[in-house]
Amino acid sequence: MRSDAALEVRHLTVDFLQRSGPKLRAVDDVSLTLRVGATLALVGESGSGKSTVVRALGRLLKPSGGEVLLGDRPSTMRRSDVREYRRHVQLVFQDPFASLNPAHTVAHHLARPLLLHQQASRRDVEGRVEALLRSVNLVPPREIARKYPHELSGGQRQRVAIARALAPSPEVLLADEPVSMLDVSIRLEILNLLDELKSERDLAMLYVTHDLATARHFSSEIMVMYRGEIVERGPSDEVILSPSHPYTQLLASAAPMPGATRAALAAARRVREGTRAAREAERREATVETGCKFRRRCPHAMPQCTSRPPEVETAPGHTTRCWLYDQSER
Amino acid sequence: MRAADPVELAPGEELDPLLSDDVVLRADHVSVVYDGDNPTRAVRDVTLELRRGEVLGIAGESGCGKSTLAYALMRMLRPPARLTGGRIIFSDHVGGTPVDVMALEAEELRHFRWRKLSMVFQSAMNALNPVTSLRKQFSDIFETHAPEMRRDDREQRSRELLEMVGIDPSRIASFPHELSGGMRQRVVIAMALALQPDVVIMDEPTTALDVVVQREILDEIERLREELGFSIVFITHDLSLLLEISDRLAVMYGGEIVEFAPSAQVARAPAHPYTLGLLESFPDMRGARRQLHGIPGSPPSLAEEVAGCAFAPRCDYAFAPCASVKPRLGERSFLAGHGAAIDVQGQRASRTWSVACHLHDPDLCPAGPPQELTGGDRAGDAETSTEEPGGVPDAICGEEE
Repeated sequence: MRSDAALEVRHLTVDFLQRSGPKLRAVDDVSLTLRVGATLALVGESGSGKSTVVRALGRLLKPSGGEVLLGDRPSTMRRSDVREYRRHVQLVFQDPFASLNPAHTVAHHLARPLLLHQQASRRDVEGRVEALLRSVNLVPPREIARKYPHELSGGQRQRVAIARALAPSPEVLLADEPVSMLDVSIRLEILNLLDELKSERDLAMLYVTHDLATARHFSSEIMVMYRGEIVERGPSDEVILSPSHPYTQLLASAAPMPGATRAALAAARRVREGTRAAREAERREATVETGCKFRRRCPHAMPQCTSRPPEVETAPGHTTRCWLYDQSER
Repeated sequence: MRAADPVELAPGEELDPLLSDDVVLRADHVSVVYDGDNPTRAVRDVTLELRRGEVLGIAGESGCGKSTLAYALMRMLRPPARLTGGRIIFSDHVGGTPVDVMALEAEELRHFRWRKLSMVFQSAMNALNPVTSLRKQFSDIFETHAPEMRRDDREQRSRELLEMVGIDPSRIASFPHELSGGMRQRVVIAMALALQPDVVIMDEPTTALDVVVQREILDEIERLREELGFSIVFITHDLSLLLEISDRLAVMYGGEIVEFAPSAQVARAPAHPYTLGLLESFPDMRGARRQLHGIPGSPPSLAEEVAGCAFAPRCDYAFAPCASVKPRLGERSFLAGHGAAIDVQGQRASRTWSVACHLHDPDLCPAGPPQELTGGDRAGDAETSTEEPGGVPDAICGEEE
């Protein structure tokens, strides 16, 4: 284990029981390391298992397999362990309208974790609440502390949620789509705030998002998830600017092209429609259990895709789980 | 590098909406108020023209009046919302008799809606009835808006519509919860197109979907539009998306249109500081890494009256007149190149660019707007985009801050 690792996840697997049929494997053998003062982005479409990873790492659900190491200590799901674990690992959720209790003031939301995790005593808690509010640029803090969530805008609420996550002075912050419910104009402010806090406090951050552009701008490393598996990982610029896995390429090509000309757009659309027509029919087939899970949608699908693809290093630190890059047998 | 010549946009296309004068839907000085103790003026004197075959984008933050405007166009405002002024004119076909939408009586209105003008609502997840099958919901449309259709034809047409948006027609017996989010959105689009309307208003049709599905839906819309030739009013907060899919773009702020311009040119350089702020709220996926910022602060309360420019409190470029003088949407042309704004008398209206900002008023700001707000053609795109954007200039229009 490298010394700068704050949280290390090895072979994390999460299965969900279904009413009928086999278990649903939402997270399949995912390993990752969150480093001090660095942001790792986890991207993928809805249903790819991103949030399940966060919930497992936040100890909100019990993984079916694998281990989570905080510092050097493996963590268990025992109640006392979980409380201690959450002192170090905190979460910011997607929806600040749902994650704050409408019946409590901002002060209450922040004082509770401070007291619970012995970060403040009854006597100095007020000052600590104000300091927290100031650290997320909610001013004047005394006034904000008295307010209820409904009196705040979406951006202000998300700042409160961030302040609450910071209350126990964690080393690790898990941010699950922290800006996707916010208005466009304030998204960057919140992301910039998280970025500043990460640097100031040496936080190890996991940024979960479906937005490739902010993933690239706010993280040093990106992991791409598809149906529970990490299909590509590497330095942010490399993964976004020269994606190697066909799924990452699909994600990148789906992003808006605001500067493009009409002709270029129409051409790109024709190409997409061509590949889509081919897979539309296949999609109705049963879901894939073995092999590459992307192969039904993949324009490069080959016979060997029915067995599980190997993880191949395409450049230093940049790996892809795809047969296209396999050198061993061809 | 310059893309296509801004005036002769896409010369190969049969129909260039930018150069067409054929207006299918016109909103004339439309104002909407939500009545109450503290009346909210959600739409303020908005004038818009939708040309035949065009995609007109409407952009802005939440609470800027975009959806209210769409409801007004559809004549779907319900109390406490009330149209307090203006007219909505619909022209059926080239040279057809214009129809005053507000004057339509019950039966005429029913005939008009869905056949002429239909709508795709925000969050299609909730636009479908969860307790009836798709068959029943399609059938309802035809029974209400096309009562002359026979039962067999209704079934036939419903299946065709599903097929058209890429859904297996056998799914007609399905209930909404049996479909994925993307499929539900396709169904809602199929429903909007059921009676081949001239105009479809789409209010955030892809906002709740993830990127890949969003792209599929957009491609679908574009393909159908090519085939069927309807016009679209596309409302979203995602300006980067609008720049790609729309021909012209109206940016709303505080219930008003603050900039109205051809999208291809806004992509290169906007004229209003608010538009610039929205543009910079979206990091470019492939662009250089740089410090990014959105627009600090929040939109004005629509219940209050602002003396000067509603955007001034959040604007990096605000100067003295902005606090007291209300900027009016004036027409400018930037087609002569960046730099001086030139009035466009005598030019075709369709080539004009309207902006409500004092920076473009030669009387108030003789020095002209800063380079990033000149509109249209920004010289050396690549170089300017790597600069620190939106930094507070030392002096605006010769005034020290």
